[in-house]
Amino acid sequence: MPGEPAKKQRRGEYQVSLEENEGKLPQKKFYRQRAHANPFSDHSLTYPKCPEEMDWASYYPAYAVQNQDEQKQEQRTESESHDQHPVPPEDAPSKAISKPVEIADIGCGFGGLLFALAPKFPDTLILGMEIRTSVTSYVQDKVRALRAQNTSTSSFQNVSCIRANTMKFLPNFFSKAQLSKIFLCFPDPHFKQRKHKARIVSYTLNSEYAYVLKPGGMVYTITDVKDLHEWMVGHLEKHPSFERVKDEELESDACVEIMRQETEEGKKVERNKGEKFVAVFRRMKDPPWP
Amino acid sequence: MNFPYQCLEACNRSTGDRNEWLLFGGCGSDLVIQSSSGESSVWPPQKDESDVVDEPQEPPGKKIKLSPSNERTSTFACLKVSNDKKHVVAITSEDKYIRVFKIDSKCRLQQLSERCMARRPCALALTPDDETILCADKFGDVYALPLIAPADDGQNGTEPGEATDTAPQKEFSPAASILTVHSGSNRKVLEEQMKQASKGKVKTKEPLKFKHDLLLGHVSMLTDIAFTTVDGKGYILTADRDEHIRISRGPPQAHIIERFCQGHDEFVSRLCLTASGLLVSGGGDPDLLIWDWMKSRLLQKVCIRNAISAHLKGQAHLTTRVPEDEDTFKIAVSGIWHKPDSQQEDSFLVACEGIPALVYVKLGPQVLLETIGLKGNALDVSFIQLSDSTWTVVVSVDNVHNPGSTTEVREDELDAELDWFDRRAPAMTRNAQSRDAGTGGETGGGSSRRVDEKAVRNVLYGIENLRKRAGGDEQE
Ligand SMILES: C[S@@+](CC[C@H](N)C(=O)[O-])C[C@H]1O[C@@H](n2cnc3c(N)ncnc32)[C@H](O)[C@@H]1O
Repeated sequence: MPGEPAKKQRRGEYQVSLEENEGKLPQKKFYRQRAHANPFSDHSLTYPKCPEEMDWASYYPAYAVQNQDEQKQEQRTESESHDQHPVPPEDAPSKAISKPVEIADIGCGFGGLLFALAPKFPDTLILGMEIRTSVTSYVQDKVRALRAQNTSTSSFQNVSCIRANTMKFLPNFFSKAQLSKIFLCFPDPHFKQRKHKARIVSYTLNSEYAYVLKPGGMVYTITDVKDLHEWMVGHLEKHPSFERVKDEELESDACVEIMRQETEEGKKVERNKGEKFVAVFRRMKDPPWP
Repeated sequence: MNFPYQCLEACNRSTGDRNEWLLFGGCGSDLVIQSSSGESSVWPPQKDESDVVDEPQEPPGKKIKLSPSNERTSTFACLKVSNDKKHVVAITSEDKYIRVFKIDSKCRLQQLSERCMARRPCALALTPDDETILCADKFGDVYALPLIAPADDGQNGTEPGEATDTAPQKEFSPAASILTVHSGSNRKVLEEQMKQASKGKVKTKEPLKFKHDLLLGHVSMLTDIAFTTVDGKGYILTADRDEHIRISRGPPQAHIIERFCQGHDEFVSRLCLTASGLLVSGGGDPDLLIWDWMKSRLLQKVCIRNAISAHLKGQAHLTTRVPEDEDTFKIAVSGIWHKPDSQQEDSFLVACEGIPALVYVKLGPQVLLETIGLKGNALDVSFIQLSDSTWTVVVSVDNVHNPGSTTEVREDELDAELDWFDRRAPAMTRNAQSRDAGTGGETGGGSSRRVDEKAVRNVLYGIENLRKRAGGDEQE
């Protein structure tokens, strides 16, 4: 594409200026990217083989667990008998964090929701997941800046963002029943019928959401596209692991208001005086085997 | 040159006082069957047979075909005999059909149903009660179909969302209102949709007109499926191109994912359960992974890549198949078969794409690895029981390509496309078996037909293509 290299260069120069200036907030205009990424293609994604291999400490450094000597001692004696898994060298930084991520914002875009949720749930780790590279970089740069601005209060240490295709790799990041909340805010509508499997909510994909959610955990959805709203409601209602949360119950749920007001898309819809459709679902306990 | 047997299946059955084995081979678009009692037939029935009759009012000799079976070119991709040995379930690739055949006492196949799936099926499993076919497709979904389609099999598919998704809409309402905020491309699609609607030609897909229930789905291409029962509980195991092995509950709770077995670096292409219930998985990695799948625990990695490269290097005409830097040698597992004669031990055979050998693996405190050389690339494997204690392995080999290659056409004629490890079994070649059998002496019909190497290659070798290319297709 003509103009691509120039764009790249501008971005590069901008990145440098950002790195030199720790607390400076990133500007969205340097991170714009084509609206739709194809969730079926391979991209050049990096993802952990399994949640245990994820380097969480680099995303939440304030929560990194120090390698404890005791722990290592244990590992060593075990490995002597099996000689299978080599013990990491003494100074290898730990990848583990002291508590697991519990809130995921799937397709977080520019991260408006994340930065609003972070102070509301200061003790909960929140992760934005986004398939578009430069949009992810924006959120990551913003996280860095906000952390630098708030060193005295340690705010925003609990929020981070990762590039991921959640439709394929959610179980690579989260283990069974790890999450308490999943947000699906203003997902791409994929109007074309043949693209319906590209939608972020479908009967079969709902099984993966149920897998990573704790029983009692919640899925929050919001969209301005009525058809998509009905689609999401229909597919979640049909899935035996989910039940819809009644509107009365939602009134006392701060997350719903944040989702309406703080997402970038939510703000756009507000400006255009569009309608917003909200639906929240609870993950039920698995029934006994038949 | 004949079309090789791209897939094989075998079973033993007793009818009355007779104990016999049956061998099925998918040979291009033909399904060939032979029994130990010497009976054999081909489906679809050959011309001049039952599907062609004389039309009385026509001039003598003019024949009318009743079925277009001879024009059918869709190739058999997968064969599965039911547990009760009464039926064969088959996938034919290009036309996306699941076909169910009844095996009669004379070793003939009668097609009971052909059901066209929405997406190309790529693997099959049957529940132990033979009631249900589990069909995994290229789009990542698994459907349950009754083995025997009910007589009133009308439009009773229950695909969640199908009612709104694919049923013809009475009144078209656009998917969003113009008021809503959209990206430029969304707006274009929407405008297009409304334009079409005003012209009254909104095309909606025909729903499948037979019972098929969507059980589960990956957002990835499925490569294999297995069903097993442990302590009375059914499990569905599915493998995909994105390195996943998923364990779900069996129907009616197939929407519940119990766990994943995570450990592959490359695509997973085959799953196999051993005698003791361990899971063996293989794909684009150098290793097979051995799992205590009920606990998602990786027990062991068995490196078959090195066994294969050692085998190739030991044969003068095959040494060049292994690259100088052996670490860059790639294999793609095309089959793992648990040996049925070993109830106590966990042993199995493994085939890789384009490799003229099988790897025999026996698990235990000391893993035993052996390679068995073949005259052509291994395609499929089946086991036949000759007596209480003797089994024989039947292997179909590629007679079109050079051993060790998936592209070079071989010049020599292979004397048989089937290789038997135990020569006590009757030798079976194409001519002896298929064309003259059952159809009244049309000897050699197969050999006169030239096969198109490219077509053969496409049918036989698709697994290495599952490997992701470096760099990917990043969109900016
Ligand atoms: C319309 S935007 C909404 C962004 C944000 N949630 C908001 O409400 O402002 C949808 C986002 O989902 C992302 N997305 C789409 N498919 C995805 C996938 N499979 N994995 C992760 N992100 C995805 C898109 O790149 C896009 O940024």
